Amino acid sequence: MLSRNGGFSRLALSALAIGLLMGCSSGGDKAATGSPSGTTTTSSDPKPAGGGTRPQPTAPVVTASGDSIKVGIVASLSGDNKPWGDDSYEGAKLAVKEINDKGGIQGKKIELIVQDDASTAQGAKTAADKLLSQGVLTIIGEVSSSCTIQIANSAFEKNVPVVAIGATKTDLTDIGANVFRVCYSDAFQGPVMAKFAYEELGLRNVALMTDNKQAYSQGLSASFKTSFESLGGKIVDEQKYDTGQTQFGGQLTELKSKNPDGIFMSGYFTEVGPIAQQARAAGINAKFLGGDGWDSEKLLDSGGTAIVGGFFCNHYNNKESRPIVKEFLTKWGKAHNGQAPTTTMGALGYDAAALALDAISRAAKLDSGAIIKALDSTTNFHGVSGDITLQGQNGTPLKQALVVEVRPRSEGFQVFRKAYSPDQVK
Amino acid sequence: MLDLAPHLLAGLEISTLPQQLVTGLLIGTIYALVALGYTMVYGVLKLINFAHGEVFMLGAYAALLISWSLGYTPGNSLEHGSWMALILMLIGAMIVCALIGMIIERLAYRPMRNQARIASLITAIGVSLFLQYGGQIFLLNGTPQNIDPKVSPFYSSDPTVGNIQLTIKGPNKELLAKADQMSSLVDKAKTDYEAELKLEGGDEFNLQPKGKELRDLYRKEQRDLESAKNDANKGAILVNLPKGQVFMLGSVLIIMVGLTWLVMFTRQGRAMRAVSLDFDSASLMGINVNAVVTFTFALGSSLAGAGAMMAATFQSGTKIDTFFGVLPGVKAFVAAVLGGIGNIPGAVLGGILMGLAENLVVWAGYGGYKDAIAFVILIAILLFKPGGLLGSAKVEKV
Repeated sequence: MLSRNGGFSRLALSALAIGLLMGCSSGGDKAATGSPSGTTTTSSDPKPAGGGTRPQPTAPVVTASGDSIKVGIVASLSGDNKPWGDDSYEGAKLAVKEINDKGGIQGKKIELIVQDDASTAQGAKTAADKLLSQGVLTIIGEVSSSCTIQIANSAFEKNVPVVAIGATKTDLTDIGANVFRVCYSDAFQGPVMAKFAYEELGLRNVALMTDNKQAYSQGLSASFKTSFESLGGKIVDEQKYDTGQTQFGGQLTELKSKNPDGIFMSGYFTEVGPIAQQARAAGINAKFLGGDGWDSEKLLDSGGTAIVGGFFCNHYNNKESRPIVKEFLTKWGKAHNGQAPTTTMGALGYDAAALALDAISRAAKLDSGAIIKALDSTTNFHGVSGDITLQGQNGTPLKQALVVEVRPRSEGFQVFRKAYSPDQVK
Repeated sequence: MLDLAPHLLAGLEISTLPQQLVTGLLIGTIYALVALGYTMVYGVLKLINFAHGEVFMLGAYAALLISWSLGYTPGNSLEHGSWMALILMLIGAMIVCALIGMIIERLAYRPMRNQARIASLITAIGVSLFLQYGGQIFLLNGTPQNIDPKVSPFYSSDPTVGNIQLTIKGPNKELLAKADQMSSLVDKAKTDYEAELKLEGGDEFNLQPKGKELRDLYRKEQRDLESAKNDANKGAILVNLPKGQVFMLGSVLIIMVGLTWLVMFTRQGRAMRAVSLDFDSASLMGINVNAVVTFTFALGSSLAGAGAMMAATFQSGTKIDTFFGVLPGVKAFVAAVLGGIGNIPGAVLGGILMGLAENLVVWAGYGGYKDAIAFVILIAILLFKPGGLLGSAKVEKV
């Protein structure tokens, strides 16, 4: 028995401490930690950030051993981002199978090793460390920026290249010269949505909903804000929430009092859906806008009819008419009973793996240093999501972005509305 | 720190305060339901049942699975809600949670009852983590699911149908009439634009210069109308009450009245109170303390189940995963401490205060600290009034 005086408070304090610990280790925490690049870049320059000052990894290179070439992939095979993780892994498998069917590279088969990060940044670090200890020459992944930051840091210490799939945080590739991606960055995606909102939708008073726990969301909100204001629009309010929150009534009440004609929701689909529904229930009839974090059909479950008619920025669309897209969809369909990938990350995962394998086949030697050099000299690689040039771009390709509208499942979830090429957006 | 004060005041918007208080009250009742479970278990066993949040999570899953089995599945849900479905989900979640609570007590806590208090506490945390992470193996591993809001007969995608609107202070009628006159301009611009849109093939975002001009004119007229309406509404105070949440509030009140009756006026309730007064003496007086403890767990857990069902159904789109109970669990725990742990009215008061505090933080312009306020309150209450607001001598006698 505890002493009569203050016994309870001591017990409760220790309980609090334990409760806090639990809070930290759980809750699907995707928060970015320990990014060496530090603060979020708010630059609206669509050109890659950094300007050629990316630190060079100095560790000894990893050389291929045995009769196979090991390539790792970190994917969210469980947790919130599972729809993306599954698609990106399936896409990468497809690209690897294609090369192996052709006899591999220099007579060696590609061995794709997958690690699940459970959609968390901590998980991504563990996963990357596991892959590196198995001697992979390249790591593919991740879809989320918070996870990719961890992977990139671990790989930097081992001088191993990373090809990110859907991580759009602007300063991500500044981590090191070993970091590349196959998608555009938020410094491009933010301005695209700002331009679309201002010019095409005629919005002038936009409010922001930002996920405080996601590096991606904060960066995207900032880049949208800068360019929307420079176009002449007004950001009337910014409300913050945390990943995992389920009721947004408080934030939406404040937001409603500012009378926005549009709401830019820069977070992931898991929270965007409930926000949209609760906003409509609160009587807000503003247009909804967002980034590529919306790209999952699950959005229609959690967002109901409220999210239909919203617009978001995406990398590629299954209905594009380029032959390479059709070819990819046929290949995907063959492996998946005629289905098409439900998120863009299928195509981007395929592109990331294909780009990495292309670099491996072009590398002067089968070691990680040579592969980094080969990746950095990529020009006009024909990807499913568009042509990718990395030479002189500090890891981030210049690519087009598509604005798509959310439609009901019967109309195919996302319908292409407008394409923006890099030179259209300043 | 010096310029904090003007910043604090800058975010305050008096017209949104009533709505924030109402929203806070509604969510507060859920915290109260969950807090009751903490407080009752603490009352009889002097144990903080950290797995209570996970019971809450499992209740949400039970409600989800029942809603699916009734045909409200993702993608092709039934279109119309039903009372029957709501009641089945509520009762189902309560029964499932009561069973789980009893199982947890029997397997995890009873063997530890004669050990040091800290051992039980650690066991509770173990059970909590086991359910959070172990649950991922068998509970729909993968993306978070959500209960389709269409299951509620109150749901409507049109807020004017789905909400009760209270007007505390109406809009400026003169300005509103002025705004109404503008709507004919908007209609005209709309007709012009739509005619041109048809001519140009119907693609809104790739128009000829003429279409673009008409479109931009139409949007400008719309904006002018909106801003005139906003001017008229400036200073108006309206409160939106989603009907589903009003139903939720009603059910919570009924449950609480039932609980009061159970604890105060039945034999079982008297036994519970006796055990919470003195565990050993109660057993000497011929009370089957094991049965009372089991009953308390079943009762407390079923309240968590009811809370979970309502939180997941009436907060549209709420995602359910195995961590669903973490935050509500922590907040309800704080609510129980705030009201005075072991004290039943205290838990209700604490829950409602928690809900209000959360929304007032958002109202003051600190939405990012919405979850942090729970811990601030906990630390403050432990420092200044460790017994809680309604804490009695009974609580001090640990």
